[in-house]
Amino acid sequence: MRLHEYEALDIFEQNRIPVPRRELVSTMHDALHVAGEIGYPVILKAQVLVGGRGLAGGIRTAQNEDELKEAADELFMSEVKGMPVRKVLVCEKVDIARELYLGMTIDGYSGKPVIVASTEGGVLIEETARTSPEKIAAIHIEPSFGYYPYQARGLLRMLGIEQKMITAWSDIIGQLYHIATRYEALIAEINPLVVLTNGGLMAVDAVLEVDDSALSRIRFPLPDRVDRIENPLERRGREIGVTYVDLDGDIGLISSGAGLGMASMDIIGQTMRPANFLETGGGITADLLYRCMELIMMKPDLRGIFINVYGGINPIHEGAKGVIRYMQEHNVKIPVVAKALGNRQEETWEIFKSGGVHVVTEAATEKAVDVLYKLVGPGEKGPAAKSLR
Amino acid sequence: MSILMNDSTRVIVQGITGRIGSAQTHWMLEYGTRVVGGVTPGKGGMEVEGVPVFNSVLEAVKETGANASVFFVPAAGVLDAFLETIDAGIKLIVIVPEHIPVKDVLRMRSYALEKGVFALGPTTPGILVPGMGKMGIMPASLFQPGRVGIISRSGTLSYEFAGILSESKVGQSTVVGMGADPVVLRNLADILELFENDRDTDAVIIVGEVGGEQEEKAAGFISRKMTKPVAAYIAGRYSPQGKKMGHAGAIVRGSTGTVAGKHEALKNAGVAVLDSPIDVAKWAKKNKLK
Repeated sequence: MRLHEYEALDIFEQNRIPVPRRELVSTMHDALHVAGEIGYPVILKAQVLVGGRGLAGGIRTAQNEDELKEAADELFMSEVKGMPVRKVLVCEKVDIARELYLGMTIDGYSGKPVIVASTEGGVLIEETARTSPEKIAAIHIEPSFGYYPYQARGLLRMLGIEQKMITAWSDIIGQLYHIATRYEALIAEINPLVVLTNGGLMAVDAVLEVDDSALSRIRFPLPDRVDRIENPLERRGREIGVTYVDLDGDIGLISSGAGLGMASMDIIGQTMRPANFLETGGGITADLLYRCMELIMMKPDLRGIFINVYGGINPIHEGAKGVIRYMQEHNVKIPVVAKALGNRQEETWEIFKSGGVHVVTEAATEKAVDVLYKLVGPGEKGPAAKSLR
Repeated sequence: MSILMNDSTRVIVQGITGRIGSAQTHWMLEYGTRVVGGVTPGKGGMEVEGVPVFNSVLEAVKETGANASVFFVPAAGVLDAFLETIDAGIKLIVIVPEHIPVKDVLRMRSYALEKGVFALGPTTPGILVPGMGKMGIMPASLFQPGRVGIISRSGTLSYEFAGILSESKVGQSTVVGMGADPVVLRNLADILELFENDRDTDAVIIVGEVGGEQEEKAAGFISRKMTKPVAAYIAGRYSPQGKKMGHAGAIVRGSTGTVAGKHEALKNAGVAVLDSPIDVAKWAKKNKLK
């Protein structure tokens, strides 16, 4: 779960990382009031959970009341990368001498946390990583050994940081690592970490992504995960315990694994256009697939449905019962094609067939998608392959 | 022969008394796997599917001579049970459960590597050697004995590839799920090396997905060390950038981890990159695989 900047800044502040004065607002009127208290100039930052927010116009500076009114008005009426702006963080504008980068993430390949620092912070950090790798340094932390401050000092020396700054900066690295550990973060990042004109360091942005699998055991207050999903269908998916991603097509998809779901999307996308991605994981029951049908049918203009499931850990015959119960109760008229293989496959096919589902018994997803295509054709929107990369 | 499992593999099932543990024990036994015991602390003395249940892994090892373990333990208890299993001397561990905190996986991986234990997962369907046995949840009906190895990050896609090959009369030597999490207990290259050294494997298929850098790193190993033909499929071509498709392993972060990046790295290593799962049948035919 990715936290909003204002939530992460609060956590950073509680853990003794210097952050700017700031307040969260949801109206232009409140923004005006807060800016008056903080003092101009101020920075307005849209609180949306997308990367590259600054380059997408989600961060504005206001020198005075007039500029603030205009910037706040525009921000509240805008979308940043498709996300509506409901909350804006009004921050003091600090005097910056230099922008640095500091981040911690998990290196999946080595299986270790990695701390990354750079002398070139800011919005172009990914560009810097490609063009000037010497300006970026990284150290891995042994999981069984943990973090010690000498590692931060070594990291900063690798970057050629002058000795007088090493103590202050390594303190912040230690605090960030501490936060990452306590909140079981997959990403903890300060970009930029700024050197103020008075020589101090300050985190003027904060990113914290908490491991979803650890949420139940983190002992610190965290926002509710379901509430923050903007898309109502994706929120419903989370509520019923499946991963649903809303897409722009008209072919509904239910799959019993993430890899199979992605492959199904790739194959559907060659000739048609998926309306969603839906992955059940290992918890299929009749009720769950009934709710999955209900969820994918919430998209208007659906032309067909493709169900792609394997019976390894999942009782697919139970799932089939849920699908046909939904179809009967709601008089589903659009074609439903199912490919279901594995444990109890014959029983599953019989159940599907009894409910009017087109059953494909071959392993290749292409064959099943072909069957669906023959029933529904390309549709008005055309194949996803045309418009996506 | 096969990799990881062979005639002398004696399996215990941890979490055997649970709903999934007992159901999967049934399927594993039915497939001919030598399941010699189960472990659920506090339930020692019971029997599940005719298999004796023990209170501790050490007891199970002493009583049954078990040398491999498959986990159906609730996510919150996996780290503890994993360390117990390693300390009891087991050298092959399959972690089926999903949603294990990454922090726990880091510790598990570090301890397993230190102790020379080969562990797969989390979120893996396990290992299946067609006609011999299986540790995990792979549905037996899709597999046929043969000489092609499969390594997959996704469980269900490993079944899909095995199923397509079996329908084309191409069998498999061993099918290995490496796990779908962003951090897994063994990297792709380690499993490729086992297949390269296996006399009964003629070629290997990698079933990958968008995200992470397993395939890119494996490409280096393939160009340096692999002599057997390798094909690869990467799922997730139309997955929207930055959207999470179920597993965190499938998040696209920056330029590493994209489908295009993986294709390029694998092609440069001489791997046959498959556009779609069904193409694996043509590839197998072209390479005269059985």
